Amino acid sequence: MCQFQAEQSKIINNCNIKGKYYRIDFMCEKIAELARPGQFVHVQIKNMGERLFRRPFSIFDVSDDGVLSIIYKVVGYGTCVLSGLKNGEICDILGPLGNSYSIPEIGETPIITAGGYGAASTYLLAKNSQTKGKVLLGAKNKDELILCDEYKRLGFDVEIATDDGSCGYSGLVTDLLAYFLKEAGIKIYGCGPNSMMYAITKMLKGTSKIAELSLDENMCCGVGACFGCVIKVVAKNEKGWEYKRSCNEGPVFKSNEIYLDF
Amino acid sequence: MANLTTNLGKLVLTNPVMTASGTFGYGEEYAKFYPLKQLGAVVVKGISPFQCHGNPMPRICETSSGMLNAIGLQNPGVDNFINKPEYLPFLRKAGAVVIVNIWGKSVEDYCAVAEKLDGVEGIAALEINISCPNIKEGGIAFGTDPVLAAKVVSSVRKKTKLPVITKLSPNVTKVSEFAKIVVGEGADMISLINTYPGMAIDIETRKSRIANITGGLSGPAIKPIAIKMVYETANAVDVPIIGMGGIFTTADAIEFFLAGADAVAIGTANFIDPMTPIKIISGINEYLDSHGYSGIKELVGNLAI
Repeated sequence: MCQFQAEQSKIINNCNIKGKYYRIDFMCEKIAELARPGQFVHVQIKNMGERLFRRPFSIFDVSDDGVLSIIYKVVGYGTCVLSGLKNGEICDILGPLGNSYSIPEIGETPIITAGGYGAASTYLLAKNSQTKGKVLLGAKNKDELILCDEYKRLGFDVEIATDDGSCGYSGLVTDLLAYFLKEAGIKIYGCGPNSMMYAITKMLKGTSKIAELSLDENMCCGVGACFGCVIKVVAKNEKGWEYKRSCNEGPVFKSNEIYLDF
Repeated sequence: MANLTTNLGKLVLTNPVMTASGTFGYGEEYAKFYPLKQLGAVVVKGISPFQCHGNPMPRICETSSGMLNAIGLQNPGVDNFINKPEYLPFLRKAGAVVIVNIWGKSVEDYCAVAEKLDGVEGIAALEINISCPNIKEGGIAFGTDPVLAAKVVSSVRKKTKLPVITKLSPNVTKVSEFAKIVVGEGADMISLINTYPGMAIDIETRKSRIANITGGLSGPAIKPIAIKMVYETANAVDVPIIGMGGIFTTADAIEFFLAGADAVAIGTANFIDPMTPIKIISGINEYLDSHGYSGIKELVGNLAI
């Protein structure tokens, strides 16, 4: 009955990892135990004053002793306040929320395409995958690249693309993905800006490959009640699409169900 | 233990706490947190005769002590609501007291939904939504025009044997006048307030934060407006009143009772803390006990002047 937990979680680590990127670890046993790759948690950040909303974050990693980790980028007020919270402080966390990536079958090689902090959402998938494959990491520039070493330590090949060419391939990470599309036995996953997910969707149109892509929109309730975070999916109706909630019918969608407006 | 039994005319609830339409989906989502029969009632998201896709994105944004939304009444349509397992059948199985919020683009639409729901097992009452600010036709257009408001309510009244609640808009000069009109046309209860129209702009993109340009403001920011309107309405009509608007805590709910609400609905707070309604039910109990009241009735309208 109670698949979701609301857990008072103590911060045990909250540190800058690079530029505007931070890692925060919570003691959060119940949620950590239930968490599956691709799911997220909805965090009520302390000391937010008149700002009421929770903030959603992909689950980066969980440990057997009940630690739940998030990688976040300071992008606005909520993440700025979060970055100032100290060890020992408590946050109310809801989770684990949303659906999850399917773990690659034995013999299937995962190709993970991640942009920016999207790389945090696919880490647990890579960790739980029996077959080690490739991670294609995209970022604006080398200062925005995160988690290369972490993925390498899991035994994945890491390839890098930066918009300005300051590290790895100069261009879009989806260009790198294009090289692998014809390979047999691969399973494509993606998490990053929605525009990147739509680009992958477009690349796969007309092929037999189906990727699992994590999309998100501004979220309010996080559990499917408010209908505030919908995305368009293919539907058999007069419009050809309908809205699905990215929080509880996603955030992971199959590329062949994502509807392209353009 | 105080008596929380709440009599809303023919409708008797085990406690006075319900969920506000549009903030609780169709119940299934929050049933993962607690049994829905613990609530006085579940008021489901607005149902129209047709399936509705709702408004484009973005649909929500955070504002000072509140939020704007323009969801646009996305809903599966009345037939799916009655028949698909995740909607009414689910609520029936959960043992919830179900109030169905209904809307349409025309008087005929409202009547069509009411007619289809009449006699369907597991529905305790209808709530006529004449106050949604986020759709082009229907909704608030009916709630801000006295003639149309009267027509919708009298027409729906003829199509159903269920108790009829009318949900009023705060976007009028004198809400109590609307209350009198709809009660005159057969509304058994009044619920108020719906969201207040509002707007927020991103100064970098110069775009409205809501694709619909304007949205409905809810949350603690509108609570004082809601309490004043409940107070006015309670003094103007003789039917039960369901008060709502920014209730986050037990103290908020008690304010509404003192202003004259017979029951309260929790809205935006569900999005922040899903356990809010349950916490408020036990909080009301504690308040009644600690202040020497034997039941909720003693509190309703008991404002010291």
